[in-house]
Amino acid sequence: MDIYLPIAEVSVNWPFLVLLGATVGFVSGLFGIGGGFLMAPILIFMGIPPSVAVASQASHVVASSTSGVISYTSQKAVDYRIGGVMALGGVVGALLGVELFRYLRLLGQADMAVAVSYLLFLGAIGTLMLYESLGQILRRVRGEVLPHRERRRPLWLYGLPLKMRFPRSGLYISAIPPFVLGGFAGVLSAIMGVGGGFILVPAMLYVLRMRAGVVVGTSLFQIIIVTAMTTVLQAGRNQTVDIILSTLLLVGGVVGAQYGARLSGRFRPDVLRAVLGLIVLLVGIQMGLELFVRPSDLFAFAPGVTE
Amino acid sequence: MIQALPPPPPAIIAPAPERSVGTVGQVRVAAAMTDARVMIDSSFRGASIVLYGAVFNPTDRPADVVVVVRGPDGPVRLVKKTRNMGFWLNSRPVLFEGAPGFYMTASTRPLSDIADFGQLRRLGVGVDHLRINAPQESRTVTRYGVRDVVVSRLGEDYLDYRRAVIRLREAAALYNTDPDGVEFVDAGLFRAEVELPAVAPTGQYFAEVWLFQDGEPVSVSNLTLTVEKVGIERDLYEFAHRRPWSYGVLVVLLAAFMGWAASRLFRRS
Repeated sequence: MDIYLPIAEVSVNWPFLVLLGATVGFVSGLFGIGGGFLMAPILIFMGIPPSVAVASQASHVVASSTSGVISYTSQKAVDYRIGGVMALGGVVGALLGVELFRYLRLLGQADMAVAVSYLLFLGAIGTLMLYESLGQILRRVRGEVLPHRERRRPLWLYGLPLKMRFPRSGLYISAIPPFVLGGFAGVLSAIMGVGGGFILVPAMLYVLRMRAGVVVGTSLFQIIIVTAMTTVLQAGRNQTVDIILSTLLLVGGVVGAQYGARLSGRFRPDVLRAVLGLIVLLVGIQMGLELFVRPSDLFAFAPGVTE
Repeated sequence: MIQALPPPPPAIIAPAPERSVGTVGQVRVAAAMTDARVMIDSSFRGASIVLYGAVFNPTDRPADVVVVVRGPDGPVRLVKKTRNMGFWLNSRPVLFEGAPGFYMTASTRPLSDIADFGQLRRLGVGVDHLRINAPQESRTVTRYGVRDVVVSRLGEDYLDYRRAVIRLREAAALYNTDPDGVEFVDAGLFRAEVELPAVAPTGQYFAEVWLFQDGEPVSVSNLTLTVEKVGIERDLYEFAHRRPWSYGVLVVLLAAFMGWAASRLFRRS
């Protein structure tokens, strides 16, 4: 049941990879995230070189997100206009991110950068999501009236130039914040191998205050463009994309994403957010742990030697 | 194309392999491997090759066999984690040049019993005697009574780094020392197993079979081994390296197509 991966140059159990792809795809469809943040740590744990894991799973994110976006499009839940602006930012971010990652690898700091970004971003986002959604669940259980949510957006959003209308999201704002947001997700996609959904979704909800119904579909759309770009860049610049690995992952991933997207309507959104927040927080802590725990071996190989 | 004719039978039969007749009375070792080529295909999970050989020992002094297999050399970069303000951070990487990607020794007895330190160091036999260089500002000094300890800008840390390279490679089953890996199956006939892990690098491997007598090398036999990717594994690897951009685009298109196909499939059912 083992298969040799030509680029990663390791032998792995392929049914496990398909299953892993399906699980991550399911989570991805359910929560409307790329799911890369879950997969990279598991692949690295399996012994796949981190640079190959990060680059190859990006295409898994492309597949499961494509499958997700098609489902959401049929529900008219994708705002292609704001998604396009974000994707443009994302492409610029991915270009910067891939070069930054190359540079960090040369310095021998790539794994540090990955650990720090996981800890910082996943830790912060996970805590926020958990706090907010648990509060909401508690109030609901106690039967309290939900406080009327402040619908006003931060004022600075209106002070910026280049205003655009985004009717599906119910927005009339400057194009700069979504562009910057997309760019930021693009950088993360190159460094952490993630689509950036865990940053995009909360930011779209709480900062841009987009209509909640279109947030997930739109973030998936933006993720497709950015991860497609990252995959091509990683293949072209670093030759770290393993087609066998990514194919195995995405065979499971596309199926899992379908079931996930279908099931997401069955749960209360606050419960979904609480669970996602918990997963995000745990992964962040797990990846960040290496910064604080004394390593079993003080020495480690630094990848990135040109062969 | 005209079908090529079958080659004519050779006019002269190739001479039989050199007989040991001419070397009667001389201590000699001869060896061969079950495979001279290891092919990495999609089911590759590592390989086990048997190296077998014979010892011609007309003297009555005992002889020891040492098998050394080394894979292609390549640079290695190593970082050391240090604690800074409560965080474990990486030092600047140190480059080692020419560390073999694979290295194993198998012998009839522990190497230190077979020959002395200087002899092993001179022949480069044993992981402790591998020539792995940290190039920057390296110089040779006498330390601990041993003459050629290489000191680079790492200073005394050099030995720690060197040991770490070996330790990490041993953990990946790429370096291996087996003090009783050479087994005599019959008088003068021995065998040793070469275990290549799945992560073994591709390229040309060199095997040396040394025969030691009274701590001195008396004979050596050299063999080569090629580890290469074949079939689809090689095609994909070459595609990814020769035309990386088209390869990347293909991966993305494949991914998008599968995503689309899945959603079509599910909508119908």
